Amino acid sequence: MFIDIACSQKKKYNQNAYGDYFASNRFPNMNRVVAVLSDGLGSGIKANILACMTSTMLLKFMESHFDIEKSCEIIMNSLPVCKVRGISYSTFSAIDCYDDGNAKIVEEGNPDFIWIRNGEVLKPEYQSIQSKDFKNRKMKVYNIQLEKYDRIIFCSDGATQVAMGSKRYPLGLERSGLIKIILNKLEQEPEISSKNLSEYLVKQIELIAPNKELKDDTSILSIYCRDPRESLIFTGPPFHGEKDNYYAKTFMEFKGKKAISGGTTANIISRELNIPVIAKLSMNSGKLPGLSEMAGVDLVTEGILTLTKTLEYLESGNTEENAAKTLMDFLLDSDVINFLVGAQMNKAHYDPNLPIEIEIRKNIIKKIAKVLEEKYLKKVNVQFV
Amino acid sequence: MAKVEVKVCLGTTCFVMGGSNLQELNDIIPQKYGDKVELSAANCLGLCSINWEYSKAPYVKVNEEVVSEATVEKVLEEIDKQLGN
Repeated sequence: MFIDIACSQKKKYNQNAYGDYFASNRFPNMNRVVAVLSDGLGSGIKANILACMTSTMLLKFMESHFDIEKSCEIIMNSLPVCKVRGISYSTFSAIDCYDDGNAKIVEEGNPDFIWIRNGEVLKPEYQSIQSKDFKNRKMKVYNIQLEKYDRIIFCSDGATQVAMGSKRYPLGLERSGLIKIILNKLEQEPEISSKNLSEYLVKQIELIAPNKELKDDTSILSIYCRDPRESLIFTGPPFHGEKDNYYAKTFMEFKGKKAISGGTTANIISRELNIPVIAKLSMNSGKLPGLSEMAGVDLVTEGILTLTKTLEYLESGNTEENAAKTLMDFLLDSDVINFLVGAQMNKAHYDPNLPIEIEIRKNIIKKIAKVLEEKYLKKVNVQFV
Repeated sequence: MAKVEVKVCLGTTCFVMGGSNLQELNDIIPQKYGDKVELSAANCLGLCSINWEYSKAPYVKVNEEVVSEATVEKVLEEIDKQLGN
């Protein structure tokens, strides 16, 4: 089971900083995901600092299985005190979740999370923990077992209190109103991704707000338990040429989405399996060679240059329309990404006349794997052949 | 008359050694020769690694003739030669 997790946010109208903060981390080796959504007191920079501190500290505490009660006391004590209100405050929702569905959720002050299974909202039991130092603070701790296709939605109170005081929503949208929107959307699109669902919900909330002006920072954190989308990227000729056929077949038999990154690699697969590869001399590919086509393969690109550019895009988030952008989208559209990296060196790449950008394939793949894991929370397997 | 086949190598080496400029051929060839010349691309013609010590990338094949250190001018010259112009 794969835990698809995404958060979408919108600032309070006329503010230039987010007062809610989302932090998460995935541990592929432990099949574990930890995420925290925090809402800081007030709005703007002050709220941003409170929420950011809370999220990052709590994330670290949860990652190391530190006692949750103690963690919260430490956080409360370390938050700066608001000059206006004389208190330090931020609310949070946190989840520590494993691929087998075992999950622990801790909430403080945020609206209760919404757990949906087969179109029904479940009501899990929780343990209530009173803070020793802060009388007005109470935590809810849930230990739940998630099943495949379950969804969990966390939100900040900006979502449930939107349009409060209006004729249509005197008490705001409320949790019940938000549930209605979610269930409606899930009926139309049962397999919607966490990213699309959270973006959709934030958009709807903004539409509900009078004049589309949000009175509070609004965040939706969506979690979806589903089958992982797997992809395989074959790049570089295998070290032992006599195994070309074996690896070509392994590649083609792969059930998920497939990409080839490398002209020679594409030629090898074409030769071994007798499937023609058609290169396109496209004009607007700019500084990168364009895409090629091969039956049964979702994407065929040139190797080193495209991979180098893809790495740059993944790191910076800035892209241009070219083959590297297409490859980046391909990667980001998968949950589990497998690289099959041929270790044979291309002698021509060691020509001293060549520009310095030509890096060693192994290094680029290692860097791509790292950024996919750390920044995009993907599961990545790299196999050198 | 048989068409002249032009294959531009878009492999990594050829591309960085100047092959990217050969994309201009896509505009020039149809204008100049109409359908007498057929232009296509190849992922890698494999020529750079055969003779890598003397690598003369980028490579373009005009029918069976290999144009090394290819430029737009050199390719057009070879096409003219093959067409008997």
